Amino acid sequence: MAKKVLVVDDDPDVRVFNTTILEENGYLPLEAENGEEGLRMIKAEKPDLVILDVLMPRQSGIRLYRELRTNASLKDVKVLVLSGIAQKTFLRSQQALTEFGESQVPEPEFYIEKPVDAAVLAATIKKAIG
Amino acid sequence: MTRLLLIDDEPDILRVLSRSLQADGYEVSTALSGGAGLGEFARGPCDIVITDIKMPGMDGIEVLKRIKELAPATEVIIITGHGDIDSAVEALHFGASDFINKPVRDEALAIALKRARDKIDIRRRLREYTHDLEKKIQAATTELRRRSNFLAKLIRSSNDGIVATDDHLRIVVFNPGAERIFGHSQEEILNRRRLPELLSEELTGAVQRAMATPRAFREMPWREAVIRSKSGESIPVMFSGSILYEGDQQLGAVAFFQDLREIKRLQRDLVRSERLAAVGQTVAGLAHGIKNILHGLKGGSYLVDIGIARKDDQKLRKGWEMIKRAIARTSNLVMDLLSYSKEREPEFEKCVPNAIAAEVCDLVRERAEQEQIEVLCDFDTAIGTVLMDPHTLHTVLLNLVTNAVDACLFDENTAKAWRVVVKTKAEPRQAIRFEVSDNGMGMTDEVKEKMFTSFYTTKGHRGTGLGLLVTHKLVEEHGGRIAVDTQPGRGTTVGVWLPYREAPGEG
Repeated sequence: MAKKVLVVDDDPDVRVFNTTILEENGYLPLEAENGEEGLRMIKAEKPDLVILDVLMPRQSGIRLYRELRTNASLKDVKVLVLSGIAQKTFLRSQQALTEFGESQVPEPEFYIEKPVDAAVLAATIKKAIG
Repeated sequence: MTRLLLIDDEPDILRVLSRSLQADGYEVSTALSGGAGLGEFARGPCDIVITDIKMPGMDGIEVLKRIKELAPATEVIIITGHGDIDSAVEALHFGASDFINKPVRDEALAIALKRARDKIDIRRRLREYTHDLEKKIQAATTELRRRSNFLAKLIRSSNDGIVATDDHLRIVVFNPGAERIFGHSQEEILNRRRLPELLSEELTGAVQRAMATPRAFREMPWREAVIRSKSGESIPVMFSGSILYEGDQQLGAVAFFQDLREIKRLQRDLVRSERLAAVGQTVAGLAHGIKNILHGLKGGSYLVDIGIARKDDQKLRKGWEMIKRAIARTSNLVMDLLSYSKEREPEFEKCVPNAIAAEVCDLVRERAEQEQIEVLCDFDTAIGTVLMDPHTLHTVLLNLVTNAVDACLFDENTAKAWRVVVKTKAEPRQAIRFEVSDNGMGMTDEVKEKMFTSFYTTKGHRGTGLGLLVTHKLVEEHGGRIAVDTQPGRGTTVGVWLPYREAPGEG
């Protein structure tokens, strides 16, 4: 059975781009347009991989990533962050939250800055979940 | 204790007088003749001598003369026979301080002694005073020398160049600071050169004018100037001067120079590094905007490729739509960049500010309400038709209201009932205050600091990072002001104050 990949991004064009790549490479794509909806779907669908944007309304990728890494039942879900913001900025925001007393979270295993070629994204997904 | 010498050839008088004087507290020595008296005086000088005038051998007048020769400060009181006025006058002539008649009465003696003591006292005080004065003069001289040394050292060690002239502008002070700035040595300048040889005509003129004007204007305020050094280098300096007076007499002029080369260099460096930082930030902001658009273009072309390869019309269409949206976003970014970089004069036209504000609210309302964000209007009906730049007002309000909606959209506290309120209010002196407030996510100090000055966005693909830069610029060009009140988690209120002109024919 095809592996499930959830795309969380508020930009509809990015969702179309990502889901098309996933379909073309034999995965089963799912979509969510913000962090809140994303979390709900992760709990319901238990995807193999989440492709996560950072700057989104309602719940940002920074929050959702934190939720995934601190919730015991979700911490094995693989995450690929795909964002217009630099990895360094993402890490600094996580660091700031840790300094405000929240728990330490590991760095994301996969981080790609937009823009990305379809081939590179496909290769990274394959590396993550095969 | 006052010491007395008592001379009389009659032992009885001597005995009676000396006892009575000792009882009054004097230290008394006695002699029975003039000669013996002088001998006694030579052994131990005393303050007051009382001598009988008529004595065998050396008489009282002689004793008086001798004692005045030996010690002029000694007071001598002569005892004369009753009615012997001539002798008394003679005695006074030779310097006796007083005379008393025989028989000696206690009161007369006491008065004569008191007068003598007063004279001694005055002389002593005079002596002390004179002595003190000398000491004071000495101390004052020392102080003066110290101060003058201090001033000389101060001038010598001052970092500023100090150049002083006499009243013919001949240079009489040229400190090491001046040597450093002008490049001339003290020997080349002191008493050899005049101010016009050192300074430009303009600066010399300023000093000469100050010297020629009444005393009230003798200070020349600090200003920037340029001097030419010995090596021909033009050196930027701060220059000030003062005309020197002693009483009404003009002594000369003094000029002060601060070397500005280092400050100017630092200023240049600062401007350069600020410009580089601004360029860096602009490039980073621009790159961020372009990266997001580029991602859309890559997505679009990916879909178009698939559509062509498979003759899949739907993919082709979808990809093409994505490319068109990326083109529109590029065009928005370029328009924002242009309106930010271009100087623009506001064009005052007849318009109705409340109508423009209502139009802006209508533009965003549908999208906002889909996200459960209420958009409310609270307009001041006293505002009618005015002369204002409608383009400025529309752009400014649209940017602020869109931001307010986004601030609610990005708020993670989903328990809130979000609302955006747009207010207008007529202000005194032909101005209108527009206020856009929201109860969204608010801003941290870091974001607030950047909001009007940096090419920066927190909105992902939704923002170019230029909206508030453009807003700020438009408000300033329109002669207005903008202010922000924000709290993270609570919301933001942006107030814009814009002046207008009265529309002709309206009131």
